[in-house]
Amino acid sequence: MPANVTRGGSPVNCKGFVMEYFLQQLINGLTLGMIYGLIAIGYTMVYGIIGMINFAHGEIFMIGAFVSLITFLLLGALGITWIPLAVLVVLIATMLFTSVYGWTLERVAYRPLRDSPRLAALITAIGMSIFLQNYVQLLQGARIKPLPPVISGGFRFMKESDFVVTLSYLQVFIILLTITLMLVFTYVINRTSFGRAQRACQQDLGMAALIGINVDRTISLTFVTGASLASVAGLMFLMNYGVIDFYIGFLAGIKAFTAAVLGGIGSLPGAMLGGLLIGLIEAFWSAYFTVEYKDVAAFAILVLVLIFRPTGLLGKPDIEKV
Amino acid sequence: MSVAAPDKLGDSLITVEHLTMRFGGLVAIDDVSFQGANREITAIIGPNGAGKTTLFNCLTGFYKPTVGRLTLHHPRKGDFLLERMEGYQIPQRAGVARTFQNIRLFPAMSVLENLIVAQHNALMRASGYSVAGLLGLRGYRQAERQAVELARFWMDRTGLTDRADIDAGNLPYGDQRRLEIARAMCTNPVLLCLDEPAAGLNPRESSDLNALLRYIRDEHSIGILLIEHDMSVVMEISDHIIVLDYGRRIAAGTPEEIRNNPDVIRAYLGENEDEPLPPEVVRDMEEER
Amino acid sequence: MTERSATTSPVLPPLDAVGIVREAGLTAFVVFALTFSLVGFKVEDVPGGLDIVTRFDQVLAATVLAFTGRVVLILLHKRRHLPVILVGLAIAAVILGLVVAARGAPESATAAWLPFESVVVNVLVAVAALVLAGRAAWSAWRRDVGVSDEAVELAARVHKAAIFLGPLMLGFAVVLPFLPFADRRLLDIAILVVTYVMLGWGLNIVVGLAGLLDLGYVAFYAVGAYSYALLAINFDLGFWVCLPFAGIMAAFAGILLGFPVLRLRGDYLAIVTLGFGEMIRVILLNWYEFTKGPDGISGIPRPTLFGLPFTRTDPDGGETFHSFFGLTYSPLDRIIFLYYLILILALVTNFFTMRIRRLPIGRAWEALREDEVACRSIGINPRNTKLTAFSIGAMFGGFGGSFFATRQGFISPESFTFIESAIILAIVVLGGMGSQIGVVFAAILLIGLPEFFRELQQYRMLAFGAAMVAIMVWRPRGLLAFRDPTIRLSDHDTAPEKQT
Ligand SMILES: Nc1ncnc2c1ncn2[C@@H]1O[C@H](COP(=O)(O)OP(=O)(O)OP(=O)(O)O)[C@@H](O)[C@H]1O
Ligand SMILES: [Mg+2]
Repeated sequence: MPANVTRGGSPVNCKGFVMEYFLQQLINGLTLGMIYGLIAIGYTMVYGIIGMINFAHGEIFMIGAFVSLITFLLLGALGITWIPLAVLVVLIATMLFTSVYGWTLERVAYRPLRDSPRLAALITAIGMSIFLQNYVQLLQGARIKPLPPVISGGFRFMKESDFVVTLSYLQVFIILLTITLMLVFTYVINRTSFGRAQRACQQDLGMAALIGINVDRTISLTFVTGASLASVAGLMFLMNYGVIDFYIGFLAGIKAFTAAVLGGIGSLPGAMLGGLLIGLIEAFWSAYFTVEYKDVAAFAILVLVLIFRPTGLLGKPDIEKV
Repeated sequence: MSVAAPDKLGDSLITVEHLTMRFGGLVAIDDVSFQGANREITAIIGPNGAGKTTLFNCLTGFYKPTVGRLTLHHPRKGDFLLERMEGYQIPQRAGVARTFQNIRLFPAMSVLENLIVAQHNALMRASGYSVAGLLGLRGYRQAERQAVELARFWMDRTGLTDRADIDAGNLPYGDQRRLEIARAMCTNPVLLCLDEPAAGLNPRESSDLNALLRYIRDEHSIGILLIEHDMSVVMEISDHIIVLDYGRRIAAGTPEEIRNNPDVIRAYLGENEDEPLPPEVVRDMEEER
Repeated sequence: MTERSATTSPVLPPLDAVGIVREAGLTAFVVFALTFSLVGFKVEDVPGGLDIVTRFDQVLAATVLAFTGRVVLILLHKRRHLPVILVGLAIAAVILGLVVAARGAPESATAAWLPFESVVVNVLVAVAALVLAGRAAWSAWRRDVGVSDEAVELAARVHKAAIFLGPLMLGFAVVLPFLPFADRRLLDIAILVVTYVMLGWGLNIVVGLAGLLDLGYVAFYAVGAYSYALLAINFDLGFWVCLPFAGIMAAFAGILLGFPVLRLRGDYLAIVTLGFGEMIRVILLNWYEFTKGPDGISGIPRPTLFGLPFTRTDPDGGETFHSFFGLTYSPLDRIIFLYYLILILALVTNFFTMRIRRLPIGRAWEALREDEVACRSIGINPRNTKLTAFSIGAMFGGFGGSFFATRQGFISPESFTFIESAIILAIVVLGGMGSQIGVVFAAILLIGLPEFFRELQQYRMLAFGAAMVAIMVWRPRGLLAFRDPTIRLSDHDTAPEKQT
């Protein structure tokens, strides 16, 4: 995982500019949080519908980042350099190709285990995660892959002081894209027949099947949706940090899962809220405490939430019926 | 609503006072009070969703009641306030054992193992919390032999001896129901709570069950709380009946009293009194009398 | 021959060629879409940035193979055995022939015909084709036996055989260092395998018996290793004094971590233990004053046999192992000693597990795995019972850790990543949860084989992942999962008295 220095933000730890520094971290944290939130939606949707932790979801995000990188390089080789077009093509390509991985993941590894004990499915998910990590490592090499900045420049605030707060165009892009995706996604879940089927399956798989909903298709589409959102997160990660490797899915996955749990697993707004919170916590933790322990912070939050509020912030209580 | 006095002789064993259980807005049990006596079978009946299982869950510590007091009068150890105890302590200390509406055995373990696990606490002590057991001391071997004897006794009683070494999950349904009762009895309870033990049994198995429950009540002198929908079972073996409807206690008394209670008939057959009962129902009720 | 099989079983419905092609085509299309992006293009590091190269030939090969494989599987499913056998043998023969022909000349024209770049992948495809052919032949021969029945039967048979297989394997393990082919390399691999067997057995208590999915087992391994290293270096204590301490420290860590989280539901518990494992690693990495951080701890004392070191000369001028016994010095002595050390530790773990399974606590673990609600209803304290399983498992992890430290002489946080936990878990799961002998087979398969065939090394984790998925899909309880009751009524039928 690269250090907490992002392209958008100022890497300098300037004491003495309390307000400016705080604002900068807020911007950085929100950007980061949107990336986590997009991944977290995949966790929460899958959990809501089949009650399993899709441990390999972080790997889907990593594949999304790799497909984005490959497409960028390909476009560069083809000489397509008009940035808006290039980004649009990459966005579509990564969503398309990564969702095939999401679909296959469900079809091959999870569908046969739908009626098996939960732990069997979780072990399969871990196996898939290990497999995909090594698959990408073998195919694309283990070295860190750098990508030169695609979108540079930004708005600068508070120019009168020495510490300039920057909101880079890249961050604007990430924030706008996330908001757009969330709007589309909310529309799909609330207004389309897939969304209705999805919500019905969340309530009761068996009953949904009885009233004629194609459960297999709905679950497949859920994985496809989750994977395409995660692939966009992968694209954002690639552009934001400028370096990726086959291992990025592990930590990002854990953090996004923490976000999903924090927001209340199964709750879609909760996933975004949790993602934003985790992003902010990580940004502020690295800024004000020790960078080294920022990953421990995510785990510590996960443990604390699970112990003291397993239903998260927006989740429904889950009383065991006997 | 007053606390009903048991109308047959027998020491009071369990006292439930003003028990209320809410789930969010839903009141599953609403201010229910009753007593259960030693050496008596107290049946708890009511339509689906009346709150019977919830009552058991409160008694055995799976739910913490919203309001109410649940006192167990242990013949040898004194009183226990069940609502203040951890779930696992209720069978361990207070001697309340239960079965479940959806059978919950240890499916991958054999019948005998199911019954030995039920004697966990006694055996743990005998094994010196595993130290003596690991060393293979004689005291533990002796204790294990006694545990097998007790298990065997209940297997004989429930007709499972031939299947002792079969996985519980592979037993036929009726055997699983009886194994659950045997497992509960292996904990040496003073109060046995049975949640629909006759559900899914054929008439023969059902009458065997009646005999078993009478035997447990009379020979082991413990109290039984019985949830049951099968009225032939309830009317035949219970000493005392409590009727719940929408979480409220609507009647209590002997089988004879309950049979003729208009509130009970209404609760079971619907609110609409003007509509005449279907003829076959009337005939059935006539026959019951 | 096809006709013959059709006449012997007249129920076979006719094949729907269009349907088969459509289905296989769909599979091929998905495989094409999967491989197009990540196989078709490779990001190459070039001076000054990245370049991209294409590998469409491999995409094509994968797509064609997927099509063929799918057709073959459908045929197998429809009990058309002969074509499956023929196609399987043909594919295997062609690929193996090409591999042999192209050996030593990777740039030759023959090599260009091979479907994949890597020899291993080619061989694996060939082996898969052979296995399919064999599978078809087998079921053509025994028509009635279903796949899962075979597996259950196999597991039961292996466990029946364990009565003599166990002692046999033990005997082999004991004499191994003195067999003529036992060189340094083999012994090193054997030590590694036995270490994983021991760790697998330790984790089996937690996962197999108590049903608690622990994804952070490596944390206890690390606690054991660091406890030993720090105690030995700072207080100048010997291996045998430190070993129990390391175990106790690990068990204590198990209680400390387990106490708050063991009431969580299974999958949450798994994630939280994973989190703990990572937290311990990050702490080891950053607590420089105590652990020397990423530099690791070196100069950890080697074990001694009652104070006799396995060096050529004792630095303090005392006796050494070879001088005491009047042997000539051999560097292999230390390796053999280490081998026996871990063998004994592993056997202790196994003996302990076999024994405790028959005690009330062991039965309570299994009962908890089966149904926690039912456990509460018969008065078993779930938290304490889980905690004992967790901490005892941790203790064995700690023992393994101190052995690791003394064997390596150097430890650093690098050695204690999540992958390590995943490998140990894979051994337990693949072996069949709760199966002691399964762990041995799985460890040999997953650790021993890749060590022997170095080229397999880079595919090891890939195969791990794939095997975990495949085995869970095929047999959700593990490959050799088989459970023997811990007590039988027939063993106790000596008391004839009848109670009333
Ligand atoms: N954990 C819970 N959370 C929310 N509601 C619950 C819970 N447990 C029970 N209820 C509700 O309480 C009411 C009473 O349920 P209960 O299971 O006690 O009924 P019952 O009398 O046992 O019915 P049946 O005869 O069908 O078994 C029902 O409406 C049920 O949905
Ligand atoms: Mg009920």
